[in-house]
Amino acid sequence: MGIPSAQFRETIRAALGRQSGPPAEPYDVLAEEFPALEARAEAVRERAARETPELLDRMAETAALRGWNVQRCDGAEEALDYVTSLARSLGATSVARSEQEVFETVPVDAAVAGAGGLCWPAVYDGPSSRTEVRQRLAESDMGITGADYAIAETGSVVVLPRRGLSRLVSVVPPVHLAIVRPSDLLGTLDDLFALRRLEHVRNGGDMGSYLNFITGPSRTADIEQTIVVGVHGPREVHMVLLDKE
Amino acid sequence: MAEVVTRDFVSATQAAVKDTQLRQALRRAGTGFDGTRREAIHEVTPEVWEEWREQARRIKEHTIGHLDYYLEMLERNVTAAGGRVHFAADAGQANAIVAQIARDNGVRTVTKSKSMVSEELGLNHVLEAQGIDVFETDLGEYIIQLANETPSHLVAPALHKTRRQVAQLFADQLGVPYSEDIEEMARIARVVLRQKFLDADMGISGANFLVAETGSLVIITNEGNGRLCTSAPRVHVGLAGMEKVIPSLQDLAVFLRLLPRSATGQRITSYMSMVTGPRRPDDEDGPEEFHLVIVDNGRSRLLADPALRESLYCIRCGACLNVCPVYQRVGGHAYGWVYPGPIGSIVTPGLVGLGQAKDLPNASTLCGACRDACPVQINIPRMLLHLRHVAAEGQGSYQGTGSDTESLFARGFAAVMSSPRLLNLGRKMGRWLLAPLANRGVLGQTRLPVVSRWTRARDLPIPPPRSFAEIWRDELSNSGSDSKRA
Ligand code: SF4
Repeated sequence: MGIPSAQFRETIRAALGRQSGPPAEPYDVLAEEFPALEARAEAVRERAARETPELLDRMAETAALRGWNVQRCDGAEEALDYVTSLARSLGATSVARSEQEVFETVPVDAAVAGAGGLCWPAVYDGPSSRTEVRQRLAESDMGITGADYAIAETGSVVVLPRRGLSRLVSVVPPVHLAIVRPSDLLGTLDDLFALRRLEHVRNGGDMGSYLNFITGPSRTADIEQTIVVGVHGPREVHMVLLDKE
Repeated sequence: MAEVVTRDFVSATQAAVKDTQLRQALRRAGTGFDGTRREAIHEVTPEVWEEWREQARRIKEHTIGHLDYYLEMLERNVTAAGGRVHFAADAGQANAIVAQIARDNGVRTVTKSKSMVSEELGLNHVLEAQGIDVFETDLGEYIIQLANETPSHLVAPALHKTRRQVAQLFADQLGVPYSEDIEEMARIARVVLRQKFLDADMGISGANFLVAETGSLVIITNEGNGRLCTSAPRVHVGLAGMEKVIPSLQDLAVFLRLLPRSATGQRITSYMSMVTGPRRPDDEDGPEEFHLVIVDNGRSRLLADPALRESLYCIRCGACLNVCPVYQRVGGHAYGWVYPGPIGSIVTPGLVGLGQAKDLPNASTLCGACRDACPVQINIPRMLLHLRHVAAEGQGSYQGTGSDTESLFARGFAAVMSSPRLLNLGRKMGRWLLAPLANRGVLGQTRLPVVSRWTRARDLPIPPPRSFAEIWRDELSNSGSDSKRA
């Protein structure tokens, strides 16, 4: 149907007038070997740990500018109160959540139940078919996730693959709530990519199927440059920012 | 491939400047996007912005200069992640690849997130001819799909439409009550497309970047449609021009900073999805199959011409459109193909051939605003001049397309301009001939033969009574003497 990749590359080489093979001058970033990568990732982690209080402030500020409703919480109890009152004000009956460690310390199921709703993990469990779980997700009032990382530079929550409908749970329901722990925080995009590059090498070259950023609500300005929120993804996004684990 | 009507450029621009709704829409977009872009630059400081631009430029220069190498790396890593990479030399091949994937998977419904390459290929029609329902899901793309039009801007495809026109379109095509409320219109699109996302068998996306070292496809959107298209259906097909590759994940950071700021002035978009292969055994959503189609379709011709190569550094942010005085007057459709504006005036002749698009390099005042706005420092005016030259002279693989009269005039002009005597004679004759017809020193529209071809679109200044050389000789050379200044 198409053409073999070797032929495709041959056309390119002819256009560039170059011989096959790597660049004569190796590309700095790619030339970085494992120990150097590890050292850099370690430095990133150390700095993030040292600067946690500043990162929390920066995150709260940037995230709010990008459209998150930021709620800083002193600990799990305050966070759960927030979840309950949000679920109540939404009149939420069905709340989907991801399958994530953070819910062991912040048990949101009980918090949603306190508001009279049902919080359920968006996983495919034997009897119910894929379509059923997806339909149930489409009908839910809110999705709750943790964060694998949170980037103070951009106000973004980063999520990585895990069991369940981990991509859809934050984008399908009309409201998304993300729980961010201090240990999730990083300063910059460069910090994040330094860590992921190390993981990539550690996992024998596997990135995992996705890496997703969420930064504020879904929005469009496609009609007369007028901003409307909640076009295909959530219209409302909440960030619970825990000051301590 | 999408139909090329660039030959009609001149008549299309004349129609466009008379379209008052279009003028309004363009003005709003121009000031809106460009204003927020400038604020965003100011916020990070112009110095930092320049550093980012240089960094981005270096990355692109290096990658495009070794494109074969990085494409091989990309292919290796996509394959290792369980995906498949296809290579298409032209639009026909690319469309056939996607059509075949659809057939192999018994696909009946496709949801698409915005892809300029797909517009370039004219893919929707090919799939529809196969009996497949295709839904654009970016709101702007959805609007123009309903209207059976093509995008008029790189990042805001329905920019040329007013809210009234969209309201009427929705009422006619979707049978909903007429409403000019923009929120209501967005809500309607959400409701209509929501079920399509869940039902679709195949999702098609473009690619803002391809990361060679990890084999990843990166898309950034604001609506969330990109994430839904790439997460919900069984099959995901990514389409990308071959120039989209960058070496490392680390390189992505600078482009994530530059692209949204340049496009809409946003500091970052709402969603960035980085997809690496299909779902893994533990994932319960995401596609079972991942295909990446890498498209040449004329790009290797741009690559082969050192003078035009840097056009492949473009990240399709649209900033050059928003600052271009020509685009701002005539809008995107006048350019006659998928890529409008200053960069379109280079890419279109490059991809479809200069013979079909020889007017486009002239669609510029060479004011340089596009180069200043470009996040990868692409020297657009230089390339436009180069193409004008090639169009006039004919060179390499391009046919000369300049007319004989034009080159006769150019030669005459050169002769006059290089001889003070001839120039002076010309000035006197011109003045004698034209001054009686002039109004406040300029000649407006006129029926005079030859001259009318100039005055059709611009005023012709009447040559002054005395030349600068005369003024200098008679008055200035003495009064400006050293003795006075001392
Ligand atoms: S040429 Fe530069 S400014 Fe224009 S769309 Fe491409 S990257 Fe943006």
